[in-house]
Amino acid sequence: MKNETKVGLLFLFTSILVVCFVYLLGSFDLFSKSKEIHLLYNFAGGIEVGSPVRAMGIKVGRVENIRFDADQKDARGEEVKLILTVSIHERAWDTIREDSRFFINLAGVIGEKYIEISPGSSTAKHLQDGGYYRGIDPPRIDQLISQSYSLAGKILELVENNEGDVVSIIQNIDRLVVNVNKALSLVTNSKAKSEDFADLIGNMAQISGDVASISGGLRSKEAKETVHLLYRLMWRLEDLDKEAIKKFFQEDGIKAKLF
Amino acid sequence: MLASVNQLLQIVAIGVLSIFRPPYRWKNYLREISFVGSESFLVVIICVSFAAIVTIIEASYHMTLVVQSDAMVPGFASLLIIRELGSVITALLIGSRVGAGWAAEVASMKISEQIDALKLLRIDPIKYLVSPKIVGSVLGTLLLGLAANIICLICAMFVTKLKLGYPMPTFISMTKLFVEVQDLVFASLKLMTFGFVVPIIACFYGFRAKSGAEGVGSATTQAVVSISVAIIFLDFVLSYVFSHFY
Repeated sequence: MKNETKVGLLFLFTSILVVCFVYLLGSFDLFSKSKEIHLLYNFAGGIEVGSPVRAMGIKVGRVENIRFDADQKDARGEEVKLILTVSIHERAWDTIREDSRFFINLAGVIGEKYIEISPGSSTAKHLQDGGYYRGIDPPRIDQLISQSYSLAGKILELVENNEGDVVSIIQNIDRLVVNVNKALSLVTNSKAKSEDFADLIGNMAQISGDVASISGGLRSKEAKETVHLLYRLMWRLEDLDKEAIKKFFQEDGIKAKLF
Repeated sequence: MLASVNQLLQIVAIGVLSIFRPPYRWKNYLREISFVGSESFLVVIICVSFAAIVTIIEASYHMTLVVQSDAMVPGFASLLIIRELGSVITALLIGSRVGAGWAAEVASMKISEQIDALKLLRIDPIKYLVSPKIVGSVLGTLLLGLAANIICLICAMFVTKLKLGYPMPTFISMTKLFVEVQDLVFASLKLMTFGFVVPIIACFYGFRAKSGAEGVGSATTQAVVSISVAIIFLDFVLSYVFSHFY
């Protein structure tokens, strides 16, 4: 075999292997059609270029680019400084809508980070190719620990500063529980029959029903108008001579009619 | 010592510059690429594949011993193969096989005064002997090393399936998780560097060979030892430099 042939075969063989390998790594995809959207975050929790994007748990794309933009704002005007460009395969594009949510999740034993997309409702609009959408920032573990630590410190300080009060509250609660227990046992052991208690509860329910009906009536349109008219009347009477009113109410009016 | 360094630098400078100056001896280039790449193919593939098999088995044993699970072995074994094992073993094998051959060839020419004859014919011996070897070694090592790396991974995938019981898609997904195209690029740069060093050192010792069969043997031995040491040292330097890019 000639040297040219040998070298040509080696070159061809290696090229095929390398292309297949790079294709397998998913760094480029000759046959797939995908669309891109931009996701906005303030904290991305360690996501990287190449991290997978999953919709309903199935891989449908990858993070293509990560960039910072100090002037970026989301649809509500909130400042969002981190923009993740992600590609989404066409087969999943239709299921992802404007009300879909974009979470950053953790998977596997080594904690692989990925973007999980929840499916949107079928009535919502489709995403726009190249559109900007707000992602949901993952919780910051360091912040949670810091807040828990701070909260625990405050509770400890509160207890230490009000030690006497806290003890007193606990003692009072203890006494209250004992008293409630005694009251319940008295009710249980009382000679009154259970029917009496049932009647009592029935009456209470009836009273509360009546009160509700009255208060409901007071909220009616007529009642409101009546109150309004009374109010206006009072104001009109205010300007009249107080003595004359007094005389009317006490001597000529109500009193005369009553007595 | 200074004369040796001077001679080495001369071989590097003239050898590299002569590649870009006519006359271009394409047949010589192709012959050297074939000698390095095609004719070393089988021995390199076999050795690298067995190294991958041993890596998988040993890593599985150690991981099970320490963390009671070998689930991560396919991933980091792939990374180890691409970043280190494939390139270094390929380069060492080429250094032994090809480097020894070239050192012996140049040393024989030196002691039989063929190099002096080339000079008489106004042919630069470095351009005539070293330049094709540099081209052949850089390209041959690159092609062979890349093929060896990927075949090595395929072997590792089969061993993972047969010995550890993980299905092939698991191996592929773990490899995708750990290995990036960047690793393949760095492996290529390493291979090209190793490929460059082999003919330089081999020819350097060949040109310095003393008369007699003993001189040829001594030049060959020194060349192989120096090439091996240079590859190991350069591997450390390059790994250290590339670690800043990860």
